[in-house]
Amino acid sequence: MLMYDFVVVGAGIIGTMIARELSRFEVKTLVIEKESDVANHQTIANSAIIHSGHDPEENSLKAKLCVLGNTLYDDLEHELNIPLLQTGALVIARTNEEVESLNMLYKRALKNGVKDVQILSKEELYKKETHLAEGILKALSLPTTKVTYPWEVAFAAMENAIMNGAKLSLNSEITKIEFVNHSYELTINHKRKIKTHAIINAAGVFADHVAKMIEPEVPYQITPRRGEYFVLDKKVKGFVQHVLYPIPSKKGKGVLLVPQVHGNILVGPTSELVDEKETLKTTKDGLNKIKEDASLLAKNIPFDQTIRTFAGIRATSTYKDFYIKHSSFAKNFFHVAGIDSPGLTAAPAIAKYVIDLIKNHIDLKPKEFFNPIRAKKSPFFTLDSNTQKMLFEKDKRYGRLICKCEKVTEMEIVEAIHGPLGNDTIKGLKKRIRAGSGLCQGGYCESEILKIIARETKKPLNKINYYHPNTPILKQETKVNK
Amino acid sequence: MNFDIVIIGGGAAGLAAALQCKDKKVSALLIERDQSLGGILNQCIHNGFGLEVFDEELTGPEYAARYSHSFLNSSLDYMLDTTVVDIIKNEHFIIKAMNTKNGLFDIHAKAVILSSGCYERTRGAIHIPGERPMGIMPAGSAQRYLNIDGYMVGKRIFILGSGDIGLIMARRMTLEGAKVLGVAEIMPYSNGLTRNIVQCLNDFDIPLYLSHTITNIEGHHKLKAITIQKVDSLYQPIEGTEKRFVVDTLLLSVGLIPDVQMFDSLKFHMSPTTKSALVNQHYETSIEGLFVCGNALHVHDLVDYVTIESARAGLCAVQYIKDKNKPSKNEQFVNINENIRYVVPQKIDFNRLDDQIEFLFRSTLKAERALIKVMQGNQVIKEKKVKYVAPAEMEKISVSKNEFINHEPITMILEVLQI
Repeated sequence: MLMYDFVVVGAGIIGTMIARELSRFEVKTLVIEKESDVANHQTIANSAIIHSGHDPEENSLKAKLCVLGNTLYDDLEHELNIPLLQTGALVIARTNEEVESLNMLYKRALKNGVKDVQILSKEELYKKETHLAEGILKALSLPTTKVTYPWEVAFAAMENAIMNGAKLSLNSEITKIEFVNHSYELTINHKRKIKTHAIINAAGVFADHVAKMIEPEVPYQITPRRGEYFVLDKKVKGFVQHVLYPIPSKKGKGVLLVPQVHGNILVGPTSELVDEKETLKTTKDGLNKIKEDASLLAKNIPFDQTIRTFAGIRATSTYKDFYIKHSSFAKNFFHVAGIDSPGLTAAPAIAKYVIDLIKNHIDLKPKEFFNPIRAKKSPFFTLDSNTQKMLFEKDKRYGRLICKCEKVTEMEIVEAIHGPLGNDTIKGLKKRIRAGSGLCQGGYCESEILKIIARETKKPLNKINYYHPNTPILKQETKVNK
Repeated sequence: MNFDIVIIGGGAAGLAAALQCKDKKVSALLIERDQSLGGILNQCIHNGFGLEVFDEELTGPEYAARYSHSFLNSSLDYMLDTTVVDIIKNEHFIIKAMNTKNGLFDIHAKAVILSSGCYERTRGAIHIPGERPMGIMPAGSAQRYLNIDGYMVGKRIFILGSGDIGLIMARRMTLEGAKVLGVAEIMPYSNGLTRNIVQCLNDFDIPLYLSHTITNIEGHHKLKAITIQKVDSLYQPIEGTEKRFVVDTLLLSVGLIPDVQMFDSLKFHMSPTTKSALVNQHYETSIEGLFVCGNALHVHDLVDYVTIESARAGLCAVQYIKDKNKPSKNEQFVNINENIRYVVPQKIDFNRLDDQIEFLFRSTLKAERALIKVMQGNQVIKEKKVKYVAPAEMEKISVSKNEFINHEPITMILEVLQI
């Protein structure tokens, strides 16, 4: 039976970041993920914001790790070569009551250690943004707010962890945890067994489910909260330059307008408690509410440029703060649970916090050679013409444009299929290189990509999955002799 | 590389436009992104093409072949498997293109014709609520998979939208052994041609649910079921009218949009209705020397109309190259009343009137009898009675040069006549 030092449960942004931090030490780490891909739940369906930290309550773990995480992203930008767009943010106040809340948020931001916060007058803020809704009185300016491409961060962290010795096992659902002879025995998919000294539970919405396998009484419960969004086409780039927030409420930060690194604008999310942990359902009421709420931030939002709507689930827990603790029951079992917003922001800080927590229980010996750098992957169309020519000379497939909306060449698709976290599905490739993410949503290129995958993997066309196992787009062949 | 005229897109529109450059002593290049000419016609294996142009019924590939053969027999230049990624205009046009032979390269042209066709509206653009499983795709994609690649995408099908591709696919999937459970259309009338309703739905007992839309989608990884609901006059779903269908595939036929987004950097003036360029009677945009035709300009009912329009556009581009002393423009917008959704051309250049201008337009309503009037000031300069108007059927009216009484803007009016 394979024996690991650490098993990290969940390959979202939290699990992958923790795996990367662990790979700095002389330990054998395995990340197990029940889904077929890295970054599949919260990490692929959120606002993509690296928050400054104006919202979490003072002295909370959320506040501390959010503010620290925000600064750590500036290092990650260079180490992991992830996209980061320094947008800054404005929190909008429309009434005198809201101005009071704004003053309170200002003080909270200062106490939380947010840098360069400032309250802007009406005149100043309308100068900063031309499409703001009318009737705004004041705004809190948060220059350290930025946006990233969340699943690319998880991919980068996982790739870097693998480079430094960590292992990843996809399509692997834990079905049983037993503590035998001072270590854990995990059953995967009711069959395979692995052993580990320690478990880090970063299972997102399923964290309580995983914890229940070993703890008689789990100290928190995940109460999933759904957020719906609109994605506007990148044609609207520049409509807003900053992240626009309303005054936050108990339910969350409210409906936002968020410029994205590729030029799109996200509008959302709603915030609604739901029963199901995996629902991706959008609703008429939810989408209408977004339109209504967003109109208080900006006027004439170009919803006619919508290319997609989606919903994501946040792993909100019954414990008010992030729950990052050693289990009070099971030895070397670490909870990293209830990581809802600002989870993406906090992720690199959470990973470091978890390492410190582990060190209280287990000796960690630093590796002699840890390479923190994950090589840059630039889309062909962002390169200068000399590099483009050089690449084209190396392989002519750089000359064939497959996804014309997002400008992705055949060779980039081939590389993504065979890359370090290679994938041979339509959505998997879309996540990696954006082929099919544009205006026509794959209407033109999907059939071309299917053929490239079939050729590269030597599989028949009707064995190529949309994403999950057993989801082929093409079913039976019509032109065969029956 | 230098050419007088570069035509972008080698489907019905591009071929018709390019053929006008034959034997005219202009140099022309046709660029096609696919590996063969013919465009979307290649996947339209049903018949019904060519009745207007050839007076006979052809299949899509047959119709395309007539033009691609003439084209290949001419000495006109072309490039296949080549994609245009951007166009810049300085003094002339610089077309940035790429293929596996040359990589990224520039082509210079004095005139450009955009004949790049259209793309299908997606689920995202129409905000259908529900889960987001696989198994939902535009009808044209399913058509390509079936007719070009030879694969079915499902067995139990529902179709949203009664556009022509959806109707054609209802029949096609049925013939291939799938069960098509119905077609839902949010409008109280069909968006497809009447002949397609009869031949593709009625003949196969496929129900058409008018004034219905999809209000829920179920399925985690794969589509399991959809729910349709009747809508009121404001298109809001009516409670209690839910019908649930267990299906593995939902095809969308909810509209086509001219595919001119690659040419955004040219910043030509756009129509919010057609979602393409505003053109004058020469199919010339607000940018001199830039022409648009076919479904890249507005979506046509019949390929025959695409051919006719694009041949005209091609001829106009040739004239543009040949005219050494072009008069300055005197362009006036064509006004329309509320019963007309859009008209093409949207502008008339009164300094370069041809013998006749043909206006194509779509109504916003359905009527048994209607009157089309073209006015200048208070005066009716042309009128025409029509028997049946509907948004799905394109109408046309021509005005001769000598019928204009002055150079003032014209207004097109569609009046519904009581029977």
